[in-house]
Amino acid sequence: MATIIEQVKSLNDQVKFPPWYLKDLYRYLSAFGILTAIYMGFRIYQGAYGVSTGLDSTEPAFEIYWMRLFNFNVTFVTLFAGISWGYLWFTRDKNLENLKPKEEIRRYLTLTMWISVYTFAVYWAGSYFAEQDNSWHQVAIRDTPFTANHIIEFYFNFPMYVILGGCAWLYARTRLPLYAKGISLPLTLAVVGPFMILVSVGFNEWGHTFWFREEFFAAPIHYGFVIGVWFAHGVGGILLQGVTRLIELLDGLEEAA
Amino acid sequence: MSANLSTGTFRPYTGEKARIARAYDYLVLVLALFLFIGSFHLHFALTVGDWDFWVDWKDRQWWPLVTPLIGITFPAAVQAVLWTNFRLPLGATLCVACLSIGTWIARIFAYHYWNFFPINMVMPSTLLPSALFLDAVLMISNSLTITAIFGGSAFALLFYPSNWPIFGMFHLPVEAGNSQLTVADMFGFQYIRTGMPEYLRIIERGTLRTYGQIATPLSAFCSALLCTLMYTLWWHIGKWFATTRYLNRI
Repeated sequence: MATIIEQVKSLNDQVKFPPWYLKDLYRYLSAFGILTAIYMGFRIYQGAYGVSTGLDSTEPAFEIYWMRLFNFNVTFVTLFAGISWGYLWFTRDKNLENLKPKEEIRRYLTLTMWISVYTFAVYWAGSYFAEQDNSWHQVAIRDTPFTANHIIEFYFNFPMYVILGGCAWLYARTRLPLYAKGISLPLTLAVVGPFMILVSVGFNEWGHTFWFREEFFAAPIHYGFVIGVWFAHGVGGILLQGVTRLIELLDGLEEAA
Repeated sequence: MSANLSTGTFRPYTGEKARIARAYDYLVLVLALFLFIGSFHLHFALTVGDWDFWVDWKDRQWWPLVTPLIGITFPAAVQAVLWTNFRLPLGATLCVACLSIGTWIARIFAYHYWNFFPINMVMPSTLLPSALFLDAVLMISNSLTITAIFGGSAFALLFYPSNWPIFGMFHLPVEAGNSQLTVADMFGFQYIRTGMPEYLRIIERGTLRTYGQIATPLSAFCSALLCTLMYTLWWHIGKWFATTRYLNRI
């Protein structure tokens, strides 16, 4: 009788979705949904007000439609950084020595989700809105560093992926034993390198003070961004660290159906 | 899961362990997709950039040189990780497919729908045939040296012929303002960009154009030579970044 109950329980566990190792799946999908809505919302806003109010920074309408958005972005990312990093730090696991293997496996999958959400933000910042910068500045004269695309790209997209990268780093550091014992070099490279892209905005804008025309995109004033993004290859090392540890943990697990 | 495992003791996972491993694989796939669209596209846009954005920049001198030379970087680095550790012969194709996705989305929604550039003017070039060949050479040879020399060269040499069916029509001659131009040049002059006229003076600069139709093969072979070196450099950059070290302090 006991064997039958155990078998039924095991079958129930198999049917349950999401399974224990994907406990954070819905949060992960929600993060993608929320970020997609935000970024597409920005693009729709640009389409609606870019040409009508975003071409001349001395117009009063520019102050209303774009500088208010800039102030909102800066406030939002500052608060979001404080809340998300604070949450991850104050809810850290203070008993990592006694972490069960199954829980550690689950956390490795959740870390992969964090990094995945980070790379999703890197996509919007590094791919779509970055190229859109060239498109916009080939039709609009650059008369301010806070152009209709820069306000979104430099003051929301860049800080947002930096914050999410920081979240991934903090999650690993506070919830996984190997990352708590030592500082993972590839994870740090993959987070700090792209962070330097945000810092390179200063170099970029300084370069643009010499001429207002846009945009030879392959110009040296943009190379700070290029070097920063090379550090994304640190993800290869994170993958190797994760796979090596997961194999150890899975090998130690008892065989289940 | 790793080529470093002893093949003698390796047994494929079954049951729940296999499902966990598969779930991890899918999460990594999503991660890799967005990582390489975002990072490779940014790297590409800020180095090849203008030569890929505009049809009138797709010239005989710089475009066939710059595009493969920069385009081979991320593929080499990713191959170094995926082939060496996982025996996955798809590093180059993965990167280039991601790049194509990123560039096409941007050209349609950022250039065409926002700023009304005709899509023919901003169509991205393709590196897919080059990437497939590079992956195939690595898989067959299992050698960094052979892949760098033959794969790297082919990566550059295949670029122009594989793009010719897409962009050849824009090189047809037209006469405008008592001058002979290409259709691509007409696009450039008709759609005024803020960087003009300096922006256009970079195209086909120098005396190589006096070689006439030989300019393209010369650029391609120059790129082939440089790609062999670039491939090797970026293979090692990829290996260096894929470190598994933990530090005591930063």
